[in-house]
Amino acid sequence: MMEVVGKFLRSLTQQPWGLWWIQARRLIRIEVRRNLFTWKAGWVYFLAFIPTLIILIHLSVDRHPAFAISEDTSVLAGIVQLYYIRLGVFFGCLGIFSRLIRGEMIERSLHFYLLSPVRREVLLLSKFVAGCISAVLLFGSAIAADFALMYAGFGAAGTDYVFNGPGLGQLESYLAIIVLACLGYGAIFLLLSMMFRNPTPAAMLVLGWEAINPVLPSLLQKLSVASYLRHLMPVSVSAHGIFALLTVETEPVSAWAAALGLLLLIIAVLFYACYRVRTLEIRYTTD
Amino acid sequence: MSVYKHIYRAYDGKVTPVWTRVFVLARYGFAEAWSSKITIGLFTLCLLPPIVFLIGIYLANNSIARALMGGLDPQGLPINARFFLILLEVQSWFALALTSWIAPRLITFDLADNALPILLSHPISRFGYVLGKLIALLASLSVVTWTPCLLLFAYQSYSSPLPWAAANLQIAAGLLAGELIWIAFLSILGLAVSSWVKWRVAATGAIFAAVFVPAGVGGIVTGVLRTKWGFLLNIPFMMTSLWQRLLGAPESARANFYLPTGAIVATLVLACFICAAMLNARIRAREVVRG
Repeated sequence: MMEVVGKFLRSLTQQPWGLWWIQARRLIRIEVRRNLFTWKAGWVYFLAFIPTLIILIHLSVDRHPAFAISEDTSVLAGIVQLYYIRLGVFFGCLGIFSRLIRGEMIERSLHFYLLSPVRREVLLLSKFVAGCISAVLLFGSAIAADFALMYAGFGAAGTDYVFNGPGLGQLESYLAIIVLACLGYGAIFLLLSMMFRNPTPAAMLVLGWEAINPVLPSLLQKLSVASYLRHLMPVSVSAHGIFALLTVETEPVSAWAAALGLLLLIIAVLFYACYRVRTLEIRYTTD
Repeated sequence: MSVYKHIYRAYDGKVTPVWTRVFVLARYGFAEAWSSKITIGLFTLCLLPPIVFLIGIYLANNSIARALMGGLDPQGLPINARFFLILLEVQSWFALALTSWIAPRLITFDLADNALPILLSHPISRFGYVLGKLIALLASLSVVTWTPCLLLFAYQSYSSPLPWAAANLQIAAGLLAGELIWIAFLSILGLAVSSWVKWRVAATGAIFAAVFVPAGVGGIVTGVLRTKWGFLLNIPFMMTSLWQRLLGAPESARANFYLPTGAIVATLVLACFICAAMLNARIRAREVVRG
């Protein structure tokens, strides 16, 4: 047993990690530039920063009495849970990560990458990392801006809430949630874009699954990105109306367990994606 | 290139009436939309809920069948405006799925392959082109929306032991009007979004996003600015309110979130104008050559 492990570790150290690192860095740089600094990426900026614009209007138009802090905190939690996770990050990642492989196929440029002396796993993981960097930068900065603008209007009370109260802890949680959401949805959409010529119908099924997930049994709730993220929310947003009656309350899971569960899900999806990319074939006539 | 032959003359035979030309495009569009196996699969899926509702109507009106099912309570299956509202909502969301699949097939191929200059060089206007595609999409959506709804209404009228249809004509009118408004809106939205997104793959997602993302933004407006008018961006909420009023079903929204019907109609009309402007900007006989 020890001999097998030793052999495996020896083979790991013999791999050209330096070369892969250089190749990965180049690929990431190309993809990040394409994801963030082109006119075509404008819609992702819209998805990320439209709440910021609305909060900016709120800051400049509405009055901010100190007793409204708790209400605004709930509103911010609702924005993160119901807008960013369910819609903004979902559709943003769908666009960013579907384009990484399927977009290259549609543009008929993926074969340039596949013909170059780069391992396919390095190519896939570099593209995934680039997508994650783009999504996290956009949505993370949007969340930070939302948070800052939401409490800026409260003056000293807002500053006190952020720096001496639970504010900074909440911001950390929101950023962690956004990072995990980008990683989770990113991995799923990257895989879907490799499995299907049109990944959108499958993505819509994922959207539907995520929407009905709170009413499913607790075992099925584990097969969802949003369910893990719900456990990380610093402020809970309760469901209203009939949805509240149908919602199945699962046992509270610790933040570490939820994060670890989601990371394991992401790793499993990426492993399968790496397995699939080894046998990926392009037929431009049908794609 | 020099043209040496000067014997060509304009065609002076019988010309097809202008108004029928759009149907050529509609016919080809219809054929294109239904050439996909996924369209057939989605269509089949869309017809499953009406079958379930048909069984519901049968059970509600047949005491023997209820007895065989273990003595179901007839009051447990009320066939009223609420029953048909649920049917209308289910079919409408299936129609959205069908639109997101069909609309990009109708328009993105022409745009991506730079086929519009060739198509519009035929004796057909840009308006005629859009109308042809719109007819193809409307016809496809009609099959899964108001047609099964009205058939179920007719079946309920036939199978009810008591006179039912005359007292509930508002439901039939509401079903027809509600679904026609919805499919007209979906069709123009689907074509407009498809005309702006080059890839069919992306267009499918963009149509869904065009319905759900404004709903989220509207929710943020309502939550942050403490105003009910944010719901005017929430298409699912707006349409549900409109359908409830058309069918005479009880309103599910809270009183402080009540939206006037005029505001809902004005928002839908404005959205249609924006979509028409988007189509006007994109549907042009020009070829984009990059390189």
